Amino acid sequence: MSYDADVIVVGGGLAGLSAAIQANREGLSTLVLERGEYSGAKNVSGGRMYVHALKELVNIEDAPFEKPITKETYVISCGTRRVTFSFSDPESRNSYSVLRAKFDPWLAKKAEEEGVIISYETLVSGAMRDNGITLRTNRGDLRAKIVIEADGVTAGVSRYLGLRNLSPDSLMLGVKEVIKPDVISDEGEAKVLVGFVDGLLGGAFSYVNKDTISLGATVKVNSLQSERVLARDLVELVREKLGIEGDILEYSAHLIPYYGYDKLPPVYAPNLLITGDAAGLLINDGFVIRGMDLAIGSGMIAGRAAKKILDQGDPTKTQVYEEMLNDSFVMKDMIIARRAFSLMNNERLFNAYPEILCSVLSRMFTVSGNRQRLLNVLIEEIKKRDLTLTETVKDLMEVL
Amino acid sequence: MDLLKRLSLNKYRVDRESHIKVNLDICRTCKEKPCIKVCPAGTYERSGDVIEVHYERCLECGAALVACPFDAISFKFPEGGVSFRYG
Ligand SMILES: Cc1cc2nc3c(=O)[nH]c(=O)nc-3n(C[C@H](O)[C@H](O)[C@H](O)COP(=O)(O)OP(=O)(O)OC[C@H]3O[C@@H](n4cnc5c(N)ncnc54)[C@H](O)[C@@H]3O)c2cc1C
Ligand code: SF4
Repeated sequence: MSYDADVIVVGGGLAGLSAAIQANREGLSTLVLERGEYSGAKNVSGGRMYVHALKELVNIEDAPFEKPITKETYVISCGTRRVTFSFSDPESRNSYSVLRAKFDPWLAKKAEEEGVIISYETLVSGAMRDNGITLRTNRGDLRAKIVIEADGVTAGVSRYLGLRNLSPDSLMLGVKEVIKPDVISDEGEAKVLVGFVDGLLGGAFSYVNKDTISLGATVKVNSLQSERVLARDLVELVREKLGIEGDILEYSAHLIPYYGYDKLPPVYAPNLLITGDAAGLLINDGFVIRGMDLAIGSGMIAGRAAKKILDQGDPTKTQVYEEMLNDSFVMKDMIIARRAFSLMNNERLFNAYPEILCSVLSRMFTVSGNRQRLLNVLIEEIKKRDLTLTETVKDLMEVL
Repeated sequence: MDLLKRLSLNKYRVDRESHIKVNLDICRTCKEKPCIKVCPAGTYERSGDVIEVHYERCLECGAALVACPFDAISFKFPEGGVSFRYG
C-alpha cells in the first residue's frame, strides 16, 4: 500500500500549521487537512497570544497582531461591589491581542510560501490504523506513515481510534463577542473578570484590539449542565454588567480543554503525535490563560519528532515525541501550573473568595466606631463561610 | 442583543442534512434537558417532551459532544457550517 505523504497533519490551526512548517523544513512530505474554508474560519480564541514560541517559528515583523498587551487588570465583582487592580508595563511586547480569523490565514500563508500543502474544506471523519494511519475524508481516504493530530479540543482522530472519550468535567465552554465600541482606548488592556458569571464555575475576559474589543466568558461545561444559567445568555450578561456599549460584530463559541498536567490524555500512540488543544495542552493558573503558545510549541516539536521517528525506521515508535515535549517549555510550564489547576476546579475560588475579599475591604473602608484589626476581620469573614484560615492559606499556597 | 440577531452576524453555509441527531426515545425520558442550557447557539429547543434541533444555528463549539449526559445526541462536524470573520 502506498502513502499519500510522510506526515498528514489534521487541522490547520496554530498547532497544525506549526507542525507542518517544521516537518516540511525537516524535508518530510507534509499535507495539512483543514475543514474550514480558510485557516481560522472555525477557530475562536480569547485571545491573547504570548509570542515567545511564534518568534522561534517565523519572523513576526508583519504579523497581524491587534495590540501589544501592556496593561493587566483584575476586576472582582460581588453583587454591586467591585475590586479592581491594574498593572501597567508600557514597554511589554511579550503578548498581543489577536483575532484568529485574521491571524491563522497569515500563518497559513507563511507555511504555503515554504511549500506546505494545505487542503481546505477537507473534513476528517474517521481514522484507522493499518501500517500507518488511514484518514477518512470528504475527499476520499488518505494514508500517512505518521499523523500529527492538531484538530483541537474535540480530538477527533483520537476519538476515531478509540483512544479518548470527552468528558464535561475536563472541558470549558468559551462564548465570545467582538464589539466595536464608540471609543477605543490606545492601550492594549487585558482584563480578567471574576464573579461575572452568576455562580457558574468560571470567569470572563476582555481584550482591547485595534478597533474592537473581544469580550467573553469561560465556564466549566459540567457547571452549565447543572446550573440555571443558559450558555446562550452568558456573554450578554457580562457585557451588561460591565456596561459596554457598541456594535456587536460577531458572536462565537468554542470548547476549551481543561485537563491540567495530572489528567492529561496520552500525547502519542503508534503512528500518532497529538498536539495543542487535542492533547489537552492548556494552562489557566488564574493569572494567564495560555493555549496558543503551547499549540505552537507542541506543533513545532511534533514536526521535529516526526523526522526523528521516521529516521529511526519504525513509525509506530513515537514515544520520543513525549520525551521532547517533556524537555520543552510546554510540559515544564504545564507542571508548574498543575496545582493551580486543581484550585481552578474548586468552587471556593469562584464564589467564596471573591465574597470574602469584597466583605473584608468593605468593612475596612467603613468607619463605624468599632475598628477591628484586618486579620480579625479576615478570620471572621472566612469563618462565616464555613472555611478555616488554614484552608484558605493552603489554597493560596497552591497558586503560588 | 437577542440570540438570533447575534447568530445572524455569522456567515453560514448550511449543510443539506443535519449534522446532529437526537435519539428521541432517550430524549423523552429526560426531564432536565441540559442540552438547552449548555448550547450557546440555542440549537436545542423544547418541543413537548422532546427536543427540536435547529442545526443551522450551530456554532460548532463542540459542547454538543458532551452536552447530553445520556448520550442521546450524536454530533459530527458539518461539511459547510459556520465561518468566523474575527474569531
Ligand atoms: C473563549 C476562548 C478564549 C481563549 N483565550 C486564550 C488566550 O487568551 N490565550 C491563549 O493562548 N489561548 C486562549 N484560548 C485557547 C486557544 O484558543 C487554544 O488553545 C488554541 O487555539 C489551540 O490551538 P490548536 O491549533 O491546538 O487548535 P485549534 O485552534 O482549535 O485548531 C484546530 C483546527 O483543526 C481543524 N479541525 C478540527 N477538526 C477537524 C477535522 N475533523 N478535519 C479537519 N480539520 C479539523 C479546525 O477547523 C481548526 O482549524 C482560548 C480559547 C477560547 C475558546
Ligand atoms: S456544537 Fe455547540 S453550538 Fe453546535 S449544537 Fe453543539 S453545543 Fe450547540
